[in-house]
Amino acid sequence: MDSKQEIILLKKALERQKKARIQAEKILEIKSKELYDTSFHLKQANHKLESLLNKKTAALNGSFLDIIDPYVIMDLKANVINMNLSAKEFLGYDHTVEPVNLTQLVHKDYLDYTKESFQILIKAGTIKNYRAKIILKNKEERYVQINSSLIYDQDRKPIAAQGIIRDISQETEIKHLLAEQKKQLNIIVENSPLGIALTVKGKIIKANPSFCNLLGYSTNELKNQTIKDISEPVDSLDSTDKLVKMNDGEIDNFSCIRKYLRKDGSHLYAKTHISAVRNNQNEVEFQVTTIEDITKEMKAEEKLKASENRLSTLILNLQTGVLLENEDRKISLTNQLFCDLFQIPASPEQLIGADCVDAAEQNKSLFKNPDSFVARIEKILSDQVMVVSDELEMVDGRILERDYIPIFNNGEYKGHLWTYQDVTLSRNYNRTLEAQREKYSSIIANMNLGLIEVDNDDIIQMVNQSFCQMSAYSEQELLGKKAKEVINITDNTIINEKNQKRLEGKSDSYEIEVRDKNGSLKHWMISGAPRYNESGAIIGSIGIHLDITEQKLLQLEKLELVKELENSNKGLQEYAHIVSHDLKSPLRSIMALSTWMLEDYREVLDEAGQKNLQLMQDKIELMDNLISGILEYSTANSSNLVNSDIDLNCVVSDIIDSIYIPEHVTVAVPVKLPTVLADKTKIHQLFQNIIGNAVVHIEKEKGLVEVLCSETENYWQFTIKDNGVGIPEKYHTKIFEIFQSVGTNERSSGIGLSIVKKIVDRYNGRVWIDSQVGIGTNFHFTLQKIKNKQPVT
Amino acid sequence: MKGIVFTEFLEMVESEFGLAVVDAIIDECDLPSEGIYTSVGTYDFNEMVALIKSLSNNVGVDSNTLIFSFGRYLFTSLGKAHPEVIQSYNNPLGLLYSIEDHIHVHVQKLYPEAELPTFKILEKTDTSISMIYSSSRGLYRLAHGLIEKCFEHYNGSAQVSYELLKADGTEVKFDIIQNG
Repeated sequence: MDSKQEIILLKKALERQKKARIQAEKILEIKSKELYDTSFHLKQANHKLESLLNKKTAALNGSFLDIIDPYVIMDLKANVINMNLSAKEFLGYDHTVEPVNLTQLVHKDYLDYTKESFQILIKAGTIKNYRAKIILKNKEERYVQINSSLIYDQDRKPIAAQGIIRDISQETEIKHLLAEQKKQLNIIVENSPLGIALTVKGKIIKANPSFCNLLGYSTNELKNQTIKDISEPVDSLDSTDKLVKMNDGEIDNFSCIRKYLRKDGSHLYAKTHISAVRNNQNEVEFQVTTIEDITKEMKAEEKLKASENRLSTLILNLQTGVLLENEDRKISLTNQLFCDLFQIPASPEQLIGADCVDAAEQNKSLFKNPDSFVARIEKILSDQVMVVSDELEMVDGRILERDYIPIFNNGEYKGHLWTYQDVTLSRNYNRTLEAQREKYSSIIANMNLGLIEVDNDDIIQMVNQSFCQMSAYSEQELLGKKAKEVINITDNTIINEKNQKRLEGKSDSYEIEVRDKNGSLKHWMISGAPRYNESGAIIGSIGIHLDITEQKLLQLEKLELVKELENSNKGLQEYAHIVSHDLKSPLRSIMALSTWMLEDYREVLDEAGQKNLQLMQDKIELMDNLISGILEYSTANSSNLVNSDIDLNCVVSDIIDSIYIPEHVTVAVPVKLPTVLADKTKIHQLFQNIIGNAVVHIEKEKGLVEVLCSETENYWQFTIKDNGVGIPEKYHTKIFEIFQSVGTNERSSGIGLSIVKKIVDRYNGRVWIDSQVGIGTNFHFTLQKIKNKQPVT
Repeated sequence: MKGIVFTEFLEMVESEFGLAVVDAIIDECDLPSEGIYTSVGTYDFNEMVALIKSLSNNVGVDSNTLIFSFGRYLFTSLGKAHPEVIQSYNNPLGLLYSIEDHIHVHVQKLYPEAELPTFKILEKTDTSISMIYSSSRGLYRLAHGLIEKCFEHYNGSAQVSYELLKADGTEVKFDIIQNG
């Protein structure tokens, strides 16, 4: 761009700027003119208004004088310039009569305030709601409220003030009263045991100390909580419904029970009363909630309900028919059993309220004696005195027991209670019991056993006839006495011991020796048992006595006899022993003498003489055997058994070696014999006697004797079998008796087998034979096995 | 439209593109005011539209970008003219928040005939503000420039996003989040 062109551009721009400045100046000129016009217009308007105001003021002055409220115009020193009639009447002063200075009317308490207010008035030109106490001309004190404004002259200089006075004494009083009431109310609210809270739209704005204490929250914590936050309704539907109704304006207050949650988490049941406070549009402005702790009452009520339930269940299930009538004879309460007893086809609940006036008449047919039933009821009802255990017999055989209890409250008759109990069973039971008792009583009285009952102190409670006879005492002499003292027992310690046993609950039998009243000695067998009461405690003992005097005497006699017998047996044995010994020595002398004679005089004696001497010697030998046998027999019975293990094989072979066996006879033992527990000497004797017996009685060319054995659980059985001459049957038993011998064998003493029997007897065994003459004999015997090495006696 | 917008616009054109462009666009537009503007006067809005369009043609930059740049320029100019207004705020969000209730009230006192856009505040936090610009002029980009420069003035910056509630730009929602 060249500078020429640039100059042109700048010129153009400058031109635009100049024009713009001119334009701006023009605009400003226009604005200035507008401003001037506006201010001029305003001035004129102001002037107009002022004159209008002055006119109005004058007009107002007149009307002020006519207004109803007291109206006063005063100068700036509070001297009244003008006042209307109302003011004159109110204040009691008339400025036309006397000069009135308003400051003089002000109560001294309000002087400072008045001064301040006056200055505000001067400064601001107006004052509203000046309130003070003034004293009227008649010395009355009044509260007034004054609205005042200054009055200016044309030069806007204040020259006076005008004011309208309102008598607010009443309002003030009301205010005071209200304040007082508010104070009182606050005191009440603060100290009320009821929790009180103020809520707006459910939110708590204010709560009194009780409310805080009840719930454990501080006032601040409660603020802005809602009642719903801290509680829940016990009956939810109802209270929500009511709250809605309250908001709708249908109700102003309602009560409900709510469960409150305390700060510590516990619960509180409270009766909650909510009242709505409405504004003039009938909207709920706030709600006053009062709560009353009824946790205790709720609990008490629950308990009451529970106990009522228990009671009614109790009554329902009572084994007694119950009928409670009120004073108008209407049924208040009855139970199932009552209905059952009288076959009433209705439930106990249905009967409530039923009239009982005609009940007796209607139901009398159920009773055996209807007329006296009705009469009795009428009598009871007119007496109104408690009756118990009236017995009623019913047509169907049942027996009822009836109680009547009148109910009085503070001496006023309030109804009565009938109770019925079916006692048929217990009556019948009692009867049966009575019959049983009679039966047993007669048995006891007539039985041959003496019966005595004593208590724990041994005092006789009961005796029967037999006992009296046994003891020879009468019943009167026994009853109530100490048994030990009356009954003369030889050994008293036994009774003490037995009584002790009874106390321990033991029963047993024992014998005592007593002297009856007559002094005769008696023996009693006593069965004693403890006596129990209904609850199972021992209250004494019962003794059943059997007089065993006779048996006892017999027994004693028997014992005596046995003793005598033993003695004589013993004597006999000794005698036999002595005799056999004493007899043997002369016998031996005779034997020796006869032998000497035979040897010394063989040459002298002829054959007959020698033979006679020989025979004499045989007889002596026989005599010797006899005596030995008797000796053995007597000892077989008496000597003690010394048991030991004996091998019978040895025993038998010893026997074979030691006894005389004819040459043609063989003794064989085909089986192995057992080892037995027994007395060796006795067993040796036993086998030797039988074997010895067998070998000498064989006449056959070849004799055979066998020893056999068999065993049962408790016995050994042995058989000694021979093929000898045999024993005729008539001797089969006889041979075991002493001094019995078969045949003519001179060597047989007739004692051997009786010794066998004795030994076998001592081992509880048996001995017998079977034999045929000419064929042989089987000797059998058994021995009881001795177990545990216990000796057999 | 207030004269100050025209005078400042031309000032910007002159400083950015030179007096020749100023002269050219004034000549080109055949304006009723002949391009003579005083800040205390009021002129037809269409003249501004014409000037912007003409400038756009002359310099080859689209109108909206020009308007946005002008907004940034205008904030500085207005700040020079009325520094007390900006001084009474100590942060940009406070200033933005008060446009409608404070600044425009004062503008209206000086120029009762001024036609001002409205800024309706939707939401304000310590770091953000969202508001709706509405004006029959549809100069929302101007507002955008002003807002951005405002943050710069307080040595700050902001994420300024806008959403056209009406297609012609007469109603636009601004969401402004202060950085840092």
